[in-house]
Amino acid sequence: MKKYIQTSAAVGDFSKLPLLQKYALADLLYVAYGLLIVALVLVSYVLGIFNLLPHDPQQINLELLMAPPASGGYLLGTDFMGRDILSRLIVGIQAYFLPGLLAISISLSGGIVLGILAGYWGGKIEAIITYVTNLVDSFPRLVLILLVIAAFKPDIYYIMVVMGITGVPSVTTAIANKIRFLAQKNYIEAAIALGLRTRVIIFKHILWYNCRALLIIHATLGMGEAILLETSLSYLGFGVQEPVPSWGNMVQSGANYFLQGSFWPSTAPALAILFTILGFNLLGDGLNNILEDRRGK
Amino acid sequence: MMNAPLTMPLLKIDNLRTYFYARSKQSFVRAVDGVSLEVGQRETVGVVGESGSGKSIAAMSVMGLIGPGPGVIGGSIHFASSRVQKNLLEGLDSFVKIEQENGRVMAVSKDEPGWQKASERLMSGLRGREIAMIFQNPRASLNPYITVGEQITEAVRLHTAHKSNKEARERAIHWLERVKIDSPRLRFDSYPSAMSGGMCQRAMIAMALSSEPSLLIADEPTTGLDATIQSKIVDLMEELKSETGISTLLISHDISVISRLADRVAVMYGGAVVEYGPARRVLDIGATIKHPYTAALLASVPSEQKIRDKAHLQTIEGDVLDTINVPAGCRFYARCNQITPEIYEKCASLHPELVEVAPGHQMRCWRYAVKA
Repeated sequence: MKKYIQTSAAVGDFSKLPLLQKYALADLLYVAYGLLIVALVLVSYVLGIFNLLPHDPQQINLELLMAPPASGGYLLGTDFMGRDILSRLIVGIQAYFLPGLLAISISLSGGIVLGILAGYWGGKIEAIITYVTNLVDSFPRLVLILLVIAAFKPDIYYIMVVMGITGVPSVTTAIANKIRFLAQKNYIEAAIALGLRTRVIIFKHILWYNCRALLIIHATLGMGEAILLETSLSYLGFGVQEPVPSWGNMVQSGANYFLQGSFWPSTAPALAILFTILGFNLLGDGLNNILEDRRGK
Repeated sequence: MMNAPLTMPLLKIDNLRTYFYARSKQSFVRAVDGVSLEVGQRETVGVVGESGSGKSIAAMSVMGLIGPGPGVIGGSIHFASSRVQKNLLEGLDSFVKIEQENGRVMAVSKDEPGWQKASERLMSGLRGREIAMIFQNPRASLNPYITVGEQITEAVRLHTAHKSNKEARERAIHWLERVKIDSPRLRFDSYPSAMSGGMCQRAMIAMALSSEPSLLIADEPTTGLDATIQSKIVDLMEELKSETGISTLLISHDISVISRLADRVAVMYGGAVVEYGPARRVLDIGATIKHPYTAALLASVPSEQKIRDKAHLQTIEGDVLDTINVPAGCRFYARCNQITPEIYEKCASLHPELVEVAPGHQMRCWRYAVKA
C-alpha cells in the first residue's frame, strides 16, 4: 500500500492549543471583562432578591440627606431623600434583568422563526414577512412605546415587550440574509446530498454553526439597549416609577442636584450604566470574533 | 419486483429531460434533453463533455438537487439496489402545468412546495445512504465551522448501524484511514480550513463512502485541485473502486480522468448524449468509427504521441451550443468538421437518432446513421 506523507505545518489540532495561541488577546480581554460584568449583574440580582443589602433601599434617613460617599456608613452616599445609593443601585438591576431577558427572547425567537421562514422558503411568505418587518422598522420605537404606555400603564414589562417586538425585524433580516447566502454554499448542498434532514440542516448547520455569533451579538446588544431605553424613558418620566429604583430614574432624580455640587447621586448610576453596557457590548464583540475565528482564514 | 436480479442495471436513466423555463424568452433552456444512461452493478460510467453540455445538471437531477424553482424534469430514473427499487421522478410531472401556444411556451406554473415535498419523499432514505455524491471544489463542500471528523461521524451515525458516538467516531477514523489521510486521529479534529484541497476531497470521499452506498456520483471530483493532487485522487478512486466495487457515475470534462476510471463512457454535447459505449472504444483515438465531437475532444487533449510528433493541439471552433434556441438539425452541425456533401442536408435539418454502430456502442451522427 502506498503511503502519502504530508509535511504540512498547519496540523489542525486546533482544539488542544492554549487559548492565547488560538485567539487574539484583545478578544479574550473583552470576553473576560464582559463575563465579569455579567457575573456582577447576576450577583446583584441575587443579592436584591434575597434582600442582602447594606441598607434598606427605601429607608429614608432625614438626618443624612445628600451624604457624600463613604460617610455615615453609606459607601456611595445617600440621595436627596437620604436613601442608600449602593443599595438602590443593587436593587435597580432588577428593573432590567428579567425585562431585558424578556425583550431579548422575544426579538430572538421571533426573528429566528420569521428569518427561517423568509430565508428558506422564500416566495410569498418572504414577501409578506419583508413587508411586515419593514412596517415595524419604519415606526419610531419611542413613539410606539409611548403609545403603549398611554394605552396601558408605564410598566417596564410593557416597555420591554414593545422593545422585543421592535427588535424582531433586525434579527429576521440578519437570519434571512444569512440563510439566503448559505443556501448557495456548496456545503449546504453537500449536506442535502448527504441525506441530512431539512431541520437538521437549518438548526444545526445553519443556525447553530453559522448564526450563533450573530445571535449572541444581538442578545448582548439587546441587553445594553434595554438599559439605555429605560434610561431615556426615565428622563421623560415614563420609565420605572419611583419609589422603585432603577438606574434610569436614579440618574434623573440625581441630576437635579448635580449643579449644586452633589454629583454622586446621578454619577454612580450613570457609571453603572456605562460600564454595564460597555461590558455587554464587548462580550458580544469578543465572542463574535472568537466564534467566527474557528473557520480560519 | 422486490428482489431485482443482479443483471438489472443499478441506475437506469431513461429519456431524462431537465429544462429550465426562461420567462423573458418564453422558452425552455434545455439543459438536459433526452439523456438515457445505465450504470450497472460494480460499473463506472463516465460522462464527458465540455462546460454547458448538461452533464452536471444530469447528475443533480439524479440526486434530486434541482431546486424547486422553474426547473422541469421529465423522463424516468430507475434506481434498483438490493434494498430499494423505485423511479426517482415518480409523479413529479403532476406538479407542473405548461401552457403552450403555437409551439411557444406561454407560461409554466409549478406547485413548488408540492414538488419539493414529493421530491424529498422520493429521495428520503436514498440520499447519502444509497446514492452518495462528491463534488468539485471539495473545500467548499465541507462546512467550515465543523471539524472534518465530526462531519464524517454525522454521516456515519445517520446512515449506518453505528449509532453510539464512540463507535461512529471509530468508524469515521477507519474511513479516514481508508482514504489514506495521514495521521487520521489527528486530522479528525481539523477544520477544513486547516487541510489542503486534496485532503478535503479525501475527507469528502470518506464521508460519501462511509454509508456504503450502492451508487457514487462523482461530479468533477478532480476539478479545482492541482495536477499532482488530481492524479493522487484518481489513484485513490481507482483503488477504492477495485476494493469496494461500488458503482460510480463519474462526471468530468477531463478525458484523462475518465479514461482511467470509466468502464463505459457517454459523451454529451448540448444536453444530449452523442456517443455512448465501452470506454476502450469511445476513447480510442485510432478507432475508425467515431463521433466527430468525440474525435475533436480527443484531438484537443495532449498525449505523449502528439508531444513526440510535435503536433499542434486542435481546438474545436465555435461556442458551446445555446440550449435555448436548439437547432432543428444536428446540434454539433455548426462546429462539425466532418460534414460530407451527401449528408449535408440531413445534418442541417434533422436531428440524428442514437443508433447502434457496434454491440453496446451507440452514436448520434448522420455519417453512421447512413451506413447502419
